[in-house]
Formats: sequence, structure tokens, C-alpha cells
Amino acid sequence: MATPMLELRDLTVSFGGLTAVDKLNLEVGENEIVSLIGPNGAGKTTVLNLITGVQKPDSGDIFLGGESVVGLAPHKITQRGIARTFQSLRLFLNMTVKENVMAAQYGHTRATIVEQMLQLPRARREEREINAFAEEKLAFFGERLMGYRWDQPAYSLSYANRRRLEIARATATRPRVLLLDEPAAGMNPVETHEIAELIGKLRTEGGFTILLIEHDMHVVESISDRVVALDHGVKIAEGTFEQVATDPRVVEAYLGTKAAATK
Amino acid sequence: MADAPTPPGSQPATSPQIGVDEWVKRSGERITGPGGIVGGSLRLATRTPPAVLLALFVGLACVIPVLTSNGYVIGVDADTMLYVLLAVGLNVAVGWAGLLDLGYVAFYGFAAYFYAELSSAHYNLHWPTWQSVPLVVAATILLGFVLALPSRRLSGDYLAIVTLFFLEIFNNFTSNGYAWDWLGFGAKHDITGGPTGINNVDPFRVFGHKLTNSPTDYVWVAAAGFTVVAILFAFVNKSRTGRAWRALREDQLAAEVMGIPVKWLMLLAVAVGAGVAGFAGAVNGAYYQGVFPDTFMFPLLITIYAMVILGGAGSLGGVVFGAVVVNVLLEILRTPYQARWVFYAAVLIGILAKVRPWRLLAAFLVATAAFGVIVNEIVGALWARGVAGPIAVGPTSYAKTGFFATLLRHWMVLPAKTYTDANYAYGNYAFVLAIVLVLASTVVTGWRRWALLVPTLWVAAFAWENTLIEQAPTTRPLLLGVILIVLMATRPAGLFGQTRVEVV
Amino acid sequence: MSAVLAFQLQNWFFFFHELIAGIAVGSLYALIALGYTMVYGVLKLLNFAHGDVYMIGAYIGWFVLNALGSPLQPIMPIVPLFLLAFAASMLGCGVLGVVIERFAYRPLRKAPRIAPLISALGVSFFLQQTAVLLWQANPRSYETFSLRPGKDGVGELFHNVVSWGNFQIQYVQMVVILSTVVLMLALSLFVWRTRTGKAMRAVSVDPEAASMMGIDVDRVIAVTFLLGSALAGAAGVMTGMIYQQLNPYMGFGAGLKAFIAAVVGGIGNIGGAVLGGLFIGLAETFTEGYLSSYFSDLIVFSVLIVFMLFRSTGLRGAPVLSKV
Repeated sequence: MATPMLELRDLTVSFGGLTAVDKLNLEVGENEIVSLIGPNGAGKTTVLNLITGVQKPDSGDIFLGGESVVGLAPHKITQRGIARTFQSLRLFLNMTVKENVMAAQYGHTRATIVEQMLQLPRARREEREINAFAEEKLAFFGERLMGYRWDQPAYSLSYANRRRLEIARATATRPRVLLLDEPAAGMNPVETHEIAELIGKLRTEGGFTILLIEHDMHVVESISDRVVALDHGVKIAEGTFEQVATDPRVVEAYLGTKAAATK
Repeated sequence: MADAPTPPGSQPATSPQIGVDEWVKRSGERITGPGGIVGGSLRLATRTPPAVLLALFVGLACVIPVLTSNGYVIGVDADTMLYVLLAVGLNVAVGWAGLLDLGYVAFYGFAAYFYAELSSAHYNLHWPTWQSVPLVVAATILLGFVLALPSRRLSGDYLAIVTLFFLEIFNNFTSNGYAWDWLGFGAKHDITGGPTGINNVDPFRVFGHKLTNSPTDYVWVAAAGFTVVAILFAFVNKSRTGRAWRALREDQLAAEVMGIPVKWLMLLAVAVGAGVAGFAGAVNGAYYQGVFPDTFMFPLLITIYAMVILGGAGSLGGVVFGAVVVNVLLEILRTPYQARWVFYAAVLIGILAKVRPWRLLAAFLVATAAFGVIVNEIVGALWARGVAGPIAVGPTSYAKTGFFATLLRHWMVLPAKTYTDANYAYGNYAFVLAIVLVLASTVVTGWRRWALLVPTLWVAAFAWENTLIEQAPTTRPLLLGVILIVLMATRPAGLFGQTRVEVV
Repeated sequence: MSAVLAFQLQNWFFFFHELIAGIAVGSLYALIALGYTMVYGVLKLLNFAHGDVYMIGAYIGWFVLNALGSPLQPIMPIVPLFLLAFAASMLGCGVLGVVIERFAYRPLRKAPRIAPLISALGVSFFLQQTAVLLWQANPRSYETFSLRPGKDGVGELFHNVVSWGNFQIQYVQMVVILSTVVLMLALSLFVWRTRTGKAMRAVSVDPEAASMMGIDVDRVIAVTFLLGSALAGAAGVMTGMIYQQLNPYMGFGAGLKAFIAAVVGGIGNIGGAVLGGLFIGLAETFTEGYLSSYFSDLIVFSVLIVFMLFRSTGLRGAPVLSKV
């Protein structure tokens, strides 16, 4: 098997006596879509926090394309090629839609502050490039975030558009791996369908490797290559959607022992 | 603005529909904003190209020394330009990056002292301007970095403490640094000149031409510096660093996760602001030809903060405006007879702007006038001396006759002056009472509030007339504190700042 | 030989003298630091104005003393006079703290973090200048120097010392340290044994959850400010007792140091505030005694920097966990 794009090895972290993630081993191959499911409190968002460097693991390792990224500062990890969205949106609300996406490109630009002050050629050139790249990333989402929307403050967007902008902003950091934290949360069935299609498009046209946390099983079923189930920080099942959905341990985690006994 | 879910593959309706993007796009211009004069001028200001605004402002500042030969006015012009520079510098950390840099005045003072030590008789160094000023600026930038360094791993609160404490230490050092011995080893060195500061500092020498210490020259120096800084900063604000600062002000964690090196940018913001303060400090030393510890203390910090917050933190044009307004206001408040009118003008403008309908406004004014006259009569009947006092009309002159004097002496209770401390006691009690009443009136609602505001206004005017206008050195700082508190509670965006949406 | 011994003993006397002085000063800082740390615990706000509330407390005590004849010609016995000064100061400062919270901070509960901090700066400055307006900038004195031993029998309070040989403790220092201990015990009892105290602890962990459990968060915060400001008021009167001199700017420096004490002890932690106060008080006093008074500020500053770099949660603080 080729080197997985993202690999977690024996990843462990605990807070105040509670082990949130316990010796987790996980691999996501290049261009794969892997879904992480599990009841609330299972540690899924914690896994994302560990991968992006927001929290430091107690032990274990995290590899991006074979290189270890454990212990690096979050912005460095992002610059290496991992981007994420947040379960509760964290947009730059008072900045415009386009600025949100332009801001995310900071890590890949080099013009120093002096060059910006004097508007030297490199600064001007990078600014043009950032602008064009932002428009390109926003165009990915169809007409929703185009045209006059670019200059509107992010707080004026509808909820679904905010979720899209959050993803657009993440893609602007030129990642290899995208971590999506409940991208379909709070959406109606039509929007959910669109998001699912979008994620698929991100994989095929965008070429990203995707690890997503999701509760909506329709989404999980329709786009995942593999599914990993977590409970209390421990991986309890892994495989295709059918395999995991019927795994008694998974049913027990979601619905309790009695329900599992009926499977 | 709901996003109408269109089923995949369908065509948009031919006529615009509410809620659908096309309608919103066409109605976008009807966005509501602040009304009235402020709103109108805001819209005018945003439509004018920034270069034009900058040219107009700098042009106005530079032309004043040519138009008038009144030394006082030109001096105010020079001071204002210096304040404008300081406000723009503080805006980087506070307005753009959202950091509380409380040591800013220490950077300003450090630069002034450093320049003084390089260009005065103190150590008998007389470095040429083109060498000393860049060195001073560079050193101040470095100081900014070093000071912000320990707090970068922690929240912005810690930056506030570290910088505030540095200010305290700086003040101690400048006041006491005239007999500095290194723990008993060696002789005592006079580093900072102590409470009397360093005098006989060289003025700037530009292209061989030695600037006099007349305000005119320094208006132009400060204006030139400001022009350069404004242009550089406008460019930065539109570039990746400006965006990154705004992102980190919005949501530090999200910015970090989007690849933005938050800690480095925090250091950069403090350091860049310090650089501007550095230039301003050198100008200060040269202009006043001396540096003194009393200048660079907490009151100055509050003054600059009031300018930045009033103008609108984050808006380059806003803080410039704030600096001008606050400094001019402070100047007007220097003398009693000018200060008086500020109070009444502010109250009248406030009432006229906020109180509708007209009948309520008229009733309120009449009630206040009546209240004052009645109280005046009662007090006069019981205690003749209580209303025998004159009103202040000049720096040392008082009047009992004249239109305004008569008006005021019938409306207000003005005890005859005996020029002792005790005379201010009434005004002081009234001051405390006025504060209590104002606070109380924000709590009650409806007609009770208007009923309460009548005596509140009168008591406040009483305090104003009897003590505040005569103690200008205290009243001015008091007002600055009030401005900060009231602004944050009612209009945190200031005059020209962006009204921000916050997620709780 | 005895000369060496005498020299050694001299050093020990000096050390002891500095130690007691340091504990006394540390107690004052601890009292002020308690207010900072409690407010930070419930509101996550650095209340810059707290030091100036302390200053107002000192002035209220002075005002009461002077209104009732001052220590020179008191119209009532000295001890009740001072108790009255304490009561007035604690009550006045408590009310002041509640008013400040209600009008300067409460409107900003939902604003970005920097907004209440700026408001606090404004309040701090406003209080300083109000003190200058009302009482002028030249220093005022508690004039306890004028109390002669034997007069009403309590002049001893301010002049006499308890001594064992050359080891001396001033009565005043003992009073200050004991009162501080009493106040802190009272506060601990309140926080750990009463319902409101429990509510305070709940709000400092999670205000939203606390309000959903039926706790009136506004009231709890008001009580927090009341207690913290009252303690600061007591510290103000005690400062007057020990140091005599008051000026409107005394709150600034003392407030800063007390704040650092709160940070060093672990901000949000009540026991930590006490530890931190003692630590800073001792550090400052020993530096002034053994090095020079120039350096005391620098040393305290360095202590802060060291803690921030190496132990940012302070002596007793716990790491802050937040859900991302």
C-alpha cells in the first residue's frame, strides 16, 4: 500500500483524567474520503484538533504524506497541507466573503511588510494572484458565492452559504488533506444533498484527500469510501458503510445494548 | 436574506422575487446606515478617493501656519499633528490587530529620551538628524518586539499587563534616573535627568537647514511624517498583513488554523506601532527641545486611547479625525469661558439630535429653565450670598453684567467666590450627585426618565459652573475617562469605525 | 568574636524586620489581589479599575477620620473610630464596585474582549481624576503619627512594638496581618460554605450552564464585585494606617502589583491570590531592603515575566480547558 496521505498512529490524549482519544490508529489514503462517525462525546472533534495542532497529544504520532507533523504550531501544520472547517462556524464575520478566502492564503505568500508598504513588485504581483485564486476557489461553489457576493460581509450570508464559505476558505490554504467537521449540520435535505455532491466534487475535481466527521448517515453512505466508528475515544469499527452500520458494537454505541441484541 | 433552495436543474424565475439573489443584488444599495449629518458625511467620505482626503487634510494642516500668525493656533496645529501620528500608530495594535497595547506611551517616551541623549548636551553627543532619527525609530521597533515577546504565548490580556507594567517602570526610571548606580558599584550616573528631564535638546537639522523651534517648522515635519506613514499604512491595510491582522482580530484560533502565524503578527503589530511612536518621540524631543518624565504617563495614554476609540478603532481616517476632535476639545476646555460653552453646546446638540417629538423637546427645555429659576429664587431667598457670585468670562476676569451673565445668574446658583478650597465643595458634591443622577436616569424609563433628567441637567450644570470649568487640569482628564466609558457602552465603533458583528 | 556574633545577629534582626514588613505588605496585596482574581474568575475580565477602588477606600477612611475630628481630636474613642472608618470604606467601595460593574461592564458582556478592558481603563482614569478633583493632588495623611501612647490607651497601636530582644513587630503590622487573615477566612467560608459562594464557583466555570441551572448570573457577578471591592476598601484603610500618606495615584502602582500577584498565584484561584500577594510583597520588601528601592519594580516585573514564560498558570492555577 502506498504511503497513506494522512496517518494517525497510537494517538492518545487525555484531559483531567478522562482519556478522550485512546491509541487511535487511522489511515486515509490519497484522494480517499473517509468518514468518522460516533456518538457525541466520542472524541471526533478532538481528533481533528490533534491533527491540526490545536491540541497536543500525550503520545502517538501524526503523519502527513509520510512526514511527522506532531508538535508543530497550527499554522505550520496548515502550511504543510492540512486544512479544516469547524463544527460551529468560525468565519471572519466582519470581513467580506472574498477577504475571508484571501486571508487564508497568507501562509503561501512571501511578500514582507516593507514590500507591502512600498508596493514593490512582488507584493503587487502576489496580491493579484491572491485575488484571482480567491475568485477561483469561490467559483467552485457555483453561483452562490460569486459576483456581488464577494464584497458582502460574511455575517450577511445565509447559514448554508456560510458553511460553503468555510469550506472555500479551507481550500484556499492549498491543502492536500481537508478535515470537514460536520459539514452538513443544520441543513435541510436539499442543501444536504448539495453538500454531499460538493464533497464528492472536492475529491474528484479538487484532488483533495478528505476526512470528515458527520452525523447524517445519508451523507456518509453516499460519499464515503470507508467509514471509521469511534466511541469514547476508541476505534470500534472500520470498513465500508454497510459493514460498519451493521456492526453490533456500533449499534450499541448509538442505540444501547438492547438494540444491539436485536441485530 | 434566505437562500431559496432551487431544485437542481431548474431555471430562475423571470421576475425578481424577494429572497432570491437577484432581488437582493438590485436592492443592495438601499442598505441602511447611520442617518443625519454623520451618515451623510460618512457616505461622502467613503466615496472620495483616499488620496484626495489625505491631500485635503495635510494641505489644511500645512496651510494654517501660513494663514495665521497666531502662535497659539499654530502650536495647537503642531500638537494636533503629533497626536495624529500617535493615534495612527496606536491604531495598528488596537484597531487592526485588536490588541491592548498599554505601553505605547512608553515607546513614545523612550524614543524622545533616546533622541535627547543622542542630540543634546546631556552626554555631549550631537548626532546629525539623519543618523539619530532612524536609529531611534529602529530602537523603538526593537523595544516593541522585545516587550511583546513574553506574552505571545498567552492571551491578549497578558500583553496588556506586561505593557502597562513596562509603562510604570519607564515612568519610575525617567523620574528617578538621575542618580543611577549599578548596585553600589561605581559612581552615580545621571541617565535620564530625573524629574527635570533633559533640556537643550537639538532641533532637527534637515538638509543642512536647522529648524527653529517655532511650531510652523514642526507642523510641516509632523505633516510630512504623517503623509508618509498614512500612505505606507494604507497599502499595508489592503495587503496580506492587513488582512491577517483583521483575521486575528476576528477569531484568533480560526486565523491560526488558516495558516496565519498569529503570534508573529501580534509582535509585528506592537512593533510597527512602536515604530510610529518612535518617530513621533524624536519629533517631540526636537520640537520642545527637551524631554520630561511627566509627559509620558498614564494620562497621555488615556488621551491617545480616547482619540483612537472616538474616531473609530481600525479606521485610518477615523482615528485621524478622532485625534483632531479630542485635541481641539481639550484646547477649548483650557479656559473657563470657552469651556462653559462646550458643555451647553454639547447638551443642546445632544438633546436636539436625540429628543423627538418637538413637543417633548420644548417641554424639557422649558422645564429645565423653570427648575433652575425656581431653585435660584429659593436659594436666593434663604441665603443671599448663594446667588451673589459672578460668572467667569476670562482667564482671570469675572462678570456680573452682560447678557449671558445675567441669564446664567438667574438660572444657576453661583455662590460668591472666596477663592478657597471650601468654595469648590458645593460643586464637588454636585458633581458626585450629578453622576449618581445620570446613572439613575439610564436605569429608569419612560416619563420618569425625563422627569429625572431635568434636575440632573441642572445639577450637572451647577457642578460644571462652580468647579469643573475652573479646574481645567482635572476636568480635561475627567472628560477623557468619561468619553471612553460612554463610548464603549453605547457606540464602541466610535464615529467612523466599522460596526462589528460578534458571535457570542 | 562577639563582634562577628553581633554582626550576625544584626543581620538576623534586619532579616526578621524585613520579613514581617514583607508579610504586612503582602497581606495588603493579597486583599487587593483577591478582588482581581474573583472578578477574573467569573467574568474573565481584568478589572483595571480595581486598584483605584482601593485608593478610593483609603480616601473614604481618611474622610471619615477627618469628619469625626481626626486622630488629633477624635470625638469618639480611637478603636471604634477606626472600625467605623473600616466599615464606611468597605461599604462605600462595595457599592462603588457594584455600580462600576452595572454601568461600565454589564453592557459589554457580549462585546469583544478588548471592549470592557478599555472601559476599565476609562473607569480607572475617571476615578483617579475624581479623587484629584475632590481631594486635590497633594498627599493627605491619616496623621496617626500624632497619636501619642497613653492617649485613650490606643496610641500604642501605632507606635509601640512587641519585642523579644531586638526582634520587633509593630502593633500596626500585627493588626494588619491579623485583619487580613480574618477577612480571608471569612471570604473562604463564604465561597465554600454558602449557596451564593457555590453559585460564584459555578459561574466561574461556565456562566451559561449556571444560568440554565437557575442561578441569577447578574446577581452573582454583582456580589463578586461587592466582596472584592469591599476587601480593597479594607486594604485602603490599612494602607493609611501603616503608611500614613495617600495620594490619588496610589491605586495605580499598588493595583498593578496586586494584579501581578493574582497572576503569579494563578488567576481565578483564591488561595493563589493570597500566596501570590505574599510572594510579591516579600519580593518587593526584600529587594528594597537588600538591594535598593530602584530595583523593586524591576524585580517584580521580572517575576511576572518568568512566570509567564515558564508557569503561565501560576502557582495554584489549573490549565484552562475550552471546547473548540
